[in-house]
Amino acid sequence: MTAAAMTERPAPYVQPTQYKLSAAGLLGSEWTKLWSLRSTWIVLLCAVVFSAGLGALISGTVPTDLEIGGAETAVGFAMSGVGLSSVFVSVLGILVITGEYSTGSIRSTMSAAPKRLGVLWAKAAVFGAVVTVLFTVMVFATFFLSQALLDGTDLGGISLGDEGVTRALVGYVAMIVYLTLLAIAIGAILRNSAGSIGFYIGVIMILPQLATLLPWDWVSDVTPYAPGNAANTITYVDASGQALGVGESWLWMGVWLVVAYGVAGLLLKRRDM
Amino acid sequence: MNGRPADRTVVCMIEIEHLTKRYGKKTAVDDLTFNVKPGVVTGFLGPNGAGKSTTMRAVVGLDAPTSGLARVNGKHYSEFRSPLTEVGALLEAKSVHAGRSAYNHLLALARTHGIPKRRVQEVIDLVGLHEVAGKRVGGFSLGMGQRLGIAVALLGDPAVLILDEPVNGLDPDGVKWIRVLLKGLAAEGRTVFLSSHLMSELAQTAEHLIVIGQGRLLADTTVDDFVSGNGQARVRVVSPDAARLAEHLAGPGVSIASPEKGVLEVSGTEAAVVGQTAAAHGLVLHELRTDRGSLEDAFMQLTADAVEYRQTTEGASR
Repeated sequence: MTAAAMTERPAPYVQPTQYKLSAAGLLGSEWTKLWSLRSTWIVLLCAVVFSAGLGALISGTVPTDLEIGGAETAVGFAMSGVGLSSVFVSVLGILVITGEYSTGSIRSTMSAAPKRLGVLWAKAAVFGAVVTVLFTVMVFATFFLSQALLDGTDLGGISLGDEGVTRALVGYVAMIVYLTLLAIAIGAILRNSAGSIGFYIGVIMILPQLATLLPWDWVSDVTPYAPGNAANTITYVDASGQALGVGESWLWMGVWLVVAYGVAGLLLKRRDM
Repeated sequence: MNGRPADRTVVCMIEIEHLTKRYGKKTAVDDLTFNVKPGVVTGFLGPNGAGKSTTMRAVVGLDAPTSGLARVNGKHYSEFRSPLTEVGALLEAKSVHAGRSAYNHLLALARTHGIPKRRVQEVIDLVGLHEVAGKRVGGFSLGMGQRLGIAVALLGDPAVLILDEPVNGLDPDGVKWIRVLLKGLAAEGRTVFLSSHLMSELAQTAEHLIVIGQGRLLADTTVDDFVSGNGQARVRVVSPDAARLAEHLAGPGVSIASPEKGVLEVSGTEAAVVGQTAAAHGLVLHELRTDRGSLEDAFMQLTADAVEYRQTTEGASR
């Protein structure tokens, strides 16, 4: 071997330059990830079946001589399944992020997007958008289905034009989207599927309800502001009797999302993957 | 020359400077400094737990160093606008959601950078996964998982490849395949950095070696120098005048053993010196041979010190 051949290295390789990491790319990537898992289809199908099915079942079995009426009750009956399906989508929201940690795919994801935060925003945006679209359709479809079944009872004859009805239905959609986004942030903070689901159901959903049983007044004063309760007001046709006003309800939803995503983002930046 | 100035040919693609990483009280990497150059395959050798994976994770920004720097081409990994075309990494084989197909895993990563589906198909074919690309990764064997990990690393056609134990779980055909693949990639001018605790594997693939033990740098050298420098090269001599030859060879730094009558094993000198000494004194030689130590020997000798070091410090702290 000649001296020249021994010292000569190949010229440095020049990598392709047409590919760039982008926000649109991250959104597309999360879209692909979401729909390429069987669990997404199963859970969303369950959510649809329960919200429409339960609403229809309850509306269809109302006795004709029931002595109650009004838009508030009618909407409440129609939406009875929606609360249950919000649990399904929240759990799926948690799994969207904790599934990456439990399987190790988070390392592939973060190697492709080393600034990390874009991944969190993309996950929240993609799943939030899917839930918004799906539940806008579900909530309004279930309402019309319910009204068709309630026709002829005291709960029938409610229309979207009645005062507060459309706002309450939009409120249901917003509540589910809010709870889903909150669940994603909790998943990002705790990184563990079982822990995140336990925390979400125990602390966010059940604890505020149990807390009202405690003997101290201040607890009942505080619970309406809790993350799991903040969205309640906007689902009422007549919200005047609620502890939080409609505006306050929106405000506190925003506050909790900012807090949750602030903590999630900070930890995502700081922790090792 | 790809339009680059000539002085760029000596650029160091991966630079590790005083890298230290502690997990709680445990120090995984301890003030590690080395460079990895393009154009050759560089092996990263060390026993399990030596800090190889930690160092590689620091390069692609998954673990933040406690102190020190890990840079690629002068930049921190997170500064790159297209990380996948700069560095392709295989870190742990199963960095994939078990419920997703190999194709969709690659597609999801490709979409972040706007890499087309055509390229996804290309890397699937390249690593030989086309028959199972649509199947869920949960059912993959370790070897198939490794091939998928290699496909991920190659997806962006990157200038730097970082592969943590790529031959783990591969069958002999796969091992041969990856050896040829990596040498080819290095010959294109890419930087190829692969870790292994299998010294024999690196001896056949790598040209340059970084050896670490207990998170510290033990050697930064070529494979050839590493073996000859650490591998107790011995000269074996068979001579009817062995006893007299031994007297003449004796000197500072030279040790001589005689495993059987008429046979000498001399270390600390070279065959040429032994031959000249014999000629100068008119002694007959029947055999004169240099026994090179294997890479394994060299590695064991080098890391023995690191292991001893740990044991003494642990003993002292109790």
